[in-house]
Amino acid sequence: MDVINALLIPILDLKLLGLIGLGTFAGIYVGAIPGLSVTMAVSILISFTFSWAVYPAIALMIGIYMGGVYGGSRTAILLNIPGAPSAIATAMDGFPMAKKGLAGEAIGIVTVVSFLGGFIGILALAIFAPLLADFAISFQPRDYMMLAVLGILLVGSLSEGSLVKGIFAGALGIAIGAVGMDPLTYTERFTFGTSGLRSGVSFVAVMIGMFGISEGLMQLHTVNTAAVKQKISSIIPSWSQVRKHIPLGMQTSSIGTVIGALPGTGGDIAALIAYDHATRVTKNPEVPFGQGAIEGLVAPETANNAAVGGAFIPMLTLGIPGDAVTAIMIGALFIHGLNPGPMLMVDQPNMFWFIVSALALANCFMLIFGLTGIRVFVKIVELPRAVLLPAILLLSIVGAYAVNNSVNDVYWMLGFGVFGYFMKLYGYPLGPVILGVILSRLLDDNWRRAIISDQESLWMLLKGTLASPLSLVLFVSVILIFVSKTPLWGMIFRKRTA
Amino acid sequence: MQTKQPKGLGQPRRPGELVFNLLMVLGSLYLLWSAYGISGFEALSAPGAVPMVTTAVMLLCTGLIFLETLRKSKITAEKLERDILPMPVIVTILAITGYALALKPLGFLPTSFLFLTGLIRYLAKYSLARSALLALLMVAGIYLLFRIVFTVLMPPGIVPEAEVIAWVKSLFVARGN
Repeated sequence: MDVINALLIPILDLKLLGLIGLGTFAGIYVGAIPGLSVTMAVSILISFTFSWAVYPAIALMIGIYMGGVYGGSRTAILLNIPGAPSAIATAMDGFPMAKKGLAGEAIGIVTVVSFLGGFIGILALAIFAPLLADFAISFQPRDYMMLAVLGILLVGSLSEGSLVKGIFAGALGIAIGAVGMDPLTYTERFTFGTSGLRSGVSFVAVMIGMFGISEGLMQLHTVNTAAVKQKISSIIPSWSQVRKHIPLGMQTSSIGTVIGALPGTGGDIAALIAYDHATRVTKNPEVPFGQGAIEGLVAPETANNAAVGGAFIPMLTLGIPGDAVTAIMIGALFIHGLNPGPMLMVDQPNMFWFIVSALALANCFMLIFGLTGIRVFVKIVELPRAVLLPAILLLSIVGAYAVNNSVNDVYWMLGFGVFGYFMKLYGYPLGPVILGVILSRLLDDNWRRAIISDQESLWMLLKGTLASPLSLVLFVSVILIFVSKTPLWGMIFRKRTA
Repeated sequence: MQTKQPKGLGQPRRPGELVFNLLMVLGSLYLLWSAYGISGFEALSAPGAVPMVTTAVMLLCTGLIFLETLRKSKITAEKLERDILPMPVIVTILAITGYALALKPLGFLPTSFLFLTGLIRYLAKYSLARSALLALLMVAGIYLLFRIVFTVLMPPGIVPEAEVIAWVKSLFVARGN
């Protein structure tokens, strides 16, 4: 009964319903405009909603997230510029369709299959998260520590650039997260004698700097690129066309959910793996892949939307983010006094079911907004970047300032923005930095708990790890990620295949 | 002419990459020293343990990255002032710094208006009047949205914001009566 009540909260409260709708609508546009990322939007939004009650704040952010993942496909199809990394695979067949004058058909089918994928991801969240949370209660501190390391390593190894750069970025994030007073001993860490650093670096300033300002500065390189105009008529697909692609959509939705649920992996990787799967299982596509195959749209779009629900599974049950956006959402939950992890399901099950319900509603709004208002959409996407960028930068500044009403946070944001800009230019991934900041506390606390319970002995810790099946699996996974990126892995692999 | 890339290395070196990576090495070294200063080698559970391991990892990684960068050949087709730090990026960074400096004394509304007018004029090459009009509309939209929907308080500065809001409210009250 409690579950039903919690599920009904966003449906019966018109304000929450409106915020989810507004968020989804805004998310579609944010996701669609190249240079505006969902991560950027959610990070800016946190600063404006931190004084709100938790339900409205989460409702708005969920809407933006869901809409943004879908919205990225729009410009991938229309302009061959993925609005979000998760839409990279969509451009491969979407843009060739648009060139043939089939942009409307492509957008229509993408909208419907995105809904299907989103629904399957949410269903998986509702079914598996409670089971995983029950299991996670038995996790030892060393398991949490290794999960945090695993998440950072996975993001580092799968994002652009080398693994070494990814590890550096993750370690940098952990160091940033450690700035301030140590919560256990009240020792100052990385404060350099400055009283202003005792309370740490504002997480929101780091986030907005890294994802808002740095991206804005990158966009300045191509600020005068002319917008490409497209004409689109009807976009609602026929039922026969939808039905034909449901089996593939179900398979790729499952792939998306599983990939999304792995700590540190998100919709972009899910979409690429699903695309690859589609090319293998589709024996005779009507149009070859890469030249406008509908299967090439169905696979990545079901997968990246399914990954949204999947990414919430480790976030809500283990406190480990599934991707950069869920990392930011964990930050939002912390700001609102909640503690994502297995105890969230025990202490506040209503929050979990509220999120499930809000995601489902956002998915429905996505279908409605996705199939309507296409003409307005095309106009907005055509807005010149030189006008849009100053407004985004202003929003970023206001967002950084608003959290603590502090100009210092604006300087922090700018500092991290410029730093993030150079990191991007020289091939360092930014995702692990934010994941490191978020997981710093979890990693530090659990390392200390684990080593204290093993009497400050690394040998005892290792013995305990090898004796527990779960710890052993996590430990081996961490080692495998390292080894898989070294020349040693290539040598073993070559020997085996030879 | 592009220098031939040694076999087995990744992408060629971009302008400024070597300096950036060297700064990363030096920064990591400094942070490791700071981390050591937290609690030294007191205990594995000491407050400085994780920061020390983290910064040591950073130093190791940046050292490897720096060495790899040293071995890379330079991209001769790219220029620092055009491909890494073009003028729009420098102007925008300066504009944000100027915004932060002027925010408290001038207030949100005039600072934002000047920031947007200047940047739109510079980036979009619109006339001053068109840039100012666009900036005015954007500031009005952002102010109404964030002041009313998000209830964010921004510094009023030289604008008597409270008095203006009170005056607008009094108009509505007077109409109601």
